[in-house]
Amino acid sequence: MIAPALNMKRRDPVLIGLWISLALVALVWLTPVVFITFTALKSEAEIFSTAAFSVPSAIEWSNFGVAWIKGNFSQTFFNSTVITLVKVPLGLLISAMAAYALAQIKLGWNKALLLFVLFGAMLPFQVMLAPLFNLVNSLDLIDTYPGVILPYLAFGVPYQVFILHSFFRAVPKELTEAALIDGATHFTIFRRIFLPVSLPVLAALLILDFVSTWNEFAMALVLLQDKNMWTLPLGLMSFQGQFSSNYGELNAAIVMTVLPATLVYLIFQRYFVSGLTSGAVKG
Amino acid sequence: MTLISRFRSPRTQGILLLTPALGVYAMFAIWPMIDVLILSFQDWNGITENREWVGLRNYYHILYNDPVFWVAFKNTFIWTVLSVVIPPLLGLGLALGLNQKLILRAPLRAIYYLPVIIAPIAVATMWRWMYDPFFGLFAQLLADLGLSSWAVDWLGDRDVALYSIFVAYVWQNVGFSMVLFLAGLQSVDSSLIDAAHIDGANRRQVFKNVTLPALRPTITIVLVLSTISSLKAFDIIYGMTGGGPAQSTQMLALWAFTQSMEIFDYGRGSAVSVVLLLLTLAVVIPYMRWSQKQESDAQ
Repeated sequence: MIAPALNMKRRDPVLIGLWISLALVALVWLTPVVFITFTALKSEAEIFSTAAFSVPSAIEWSNFGVAWIKGNFSQTFFNSTVITLVKVPLGLLISAMAAYALAQIKLGWNKALLLFVLFGAMLPFQVMLAPLFNLVNSLDLIDTYPGVILPYLAFGVPYQVFILHSFFRAVPKELTEAALIDGATHFTIFRRIFLPVSLPVLAALLILDFVSTWNEFAMALVLLQDKNMWTLPLGLMSFQGQFSSNYGELNAAIVMTVLPATLVYLIFQRYFVSGLTSGAVKG
Repeated sequence: MTLISRFRSPRTQGILLLTPALGVYAMFAIWPMIDVLILSFQDWNGITENREWVGLRNYYHILYNDPVFWVAFKNTFIWTVLSVVIPPLLGLGLALGLNQKLILRAPLRAIYYLPVIIAPIAVATMWRWMYDPFFGLFAQLLADLGLSSWAVDWLGDRDVALYSIFVAYVWQNVGFSMVLFLAGLQSVDSSLIDAAHIDGANRRQVFKNVTLPALRPTITIVLVLSTISSLKAFDIIYGMTGGGPAQSTQMLALWAFTQSMEIFDYGRGSAVSVVLLLLTLAVVIPYMRWSQKQESDAQ
């Protein structure tokens, strides 16, 4: 471990054994994904007659087309897209504004406010589904985009404020003070200095939030009752309920639901890790 | 004071910047938490205007007359213990391995992390199909190995179902612990490790005396986050069994939802929620105090 590269050259048996076991476990980890993809590409007859890991002999693309129509995917896909595209940037903006105010402006009770916000990062919203329904219902917002976006915003704020606050706090206060003396307002300083310097953090949070908004199920289940307002996870759940024995189509539906988040992950991989760890591990 | 000069006061600007986030947070996250507390002392079916105060009757009911509550409580307990032990241990193992300079390290890390970004409800759907007693992955694998007699109805057997779901949960969550541990390992001083090696320490001694102490804050964080996320397990259970068969996989979060949103007994559902909330706070509050202390020590 003094010089790992050297060790590998000398073929350290421990490292080789380690590598083999890590690779084997990784194969096991991939099996569900491979199995699902293969099934999605097989015809019904082939699913029943061939082994689980046999490569599809003739690719049955029609599974995707049929599942798309049966599952009302064009509608659920559209709803998920609208909700995600509004919620994610808007949530990040209001979180960044709040984090800036808490980190750079003396309000007298910054610390208490910060604790109040952080508290929410730990709360399970699964506990509050019924009162949440009740609240959104009393505002007449059940089955509307705002009715689900507002709670999503609320439960996204704590974690994002937490991360951005620790980032903004590291910027020297003198910088802000100098700009204030030059006559800038806090709004200008936030927009012209803090937003640009925090772009890498914002990008990381954006991608994390995209995935979690895209995947959210429990709140949508309660707040979106009308089939035409459903998001992808709700659509998938109902598809499973109705067509659970059309294995090829069901697996095609799973692939279509999972694909956008997977692509985002594969493209922006490094941001995930930095977004997750910048907050959690620094303490 | 004129409007302009008022607008220029830093305090006003700060409040304006804070209000949107705090407002939406207070209204849609904090208020429902207060409301769930209120509802737990009331009798309400979700439709009528009237929410009648009933004191502690809902709590009395769930604690003494509701056998499902205790099943859910026991399952939540088992689930939490399992998820605090197994995924973090596996994640630590993977992180230690993947922290070495190995060929193809990055793709290996990517594979382990991939399930984390899949929607839990999609994980549920995937695994339900893999557990299919006739054509699912496990049934086929066992048949290929000539072990069909080992096959059970993974999600239909009351003694097995909870653990079958847990396997899917482990598959999804190990990558999360792994990433946190990998980040924590970056804070381990490599010169200390080198020095230990020069002094003739073997791998185990280095791990025990150098790596592990440096990982202590990360371990705390991983354990707390694992506890919290296990208490809120909802999607994966709803998607795989819906709490069945015969309530054998019922959990507190799901039972609270079922009582309120499907049986329309908001009072009892909220009482279950409050129990779960208290359990969560019992972990969260000490943790927040601990991290505050860490922070002030660091300054």
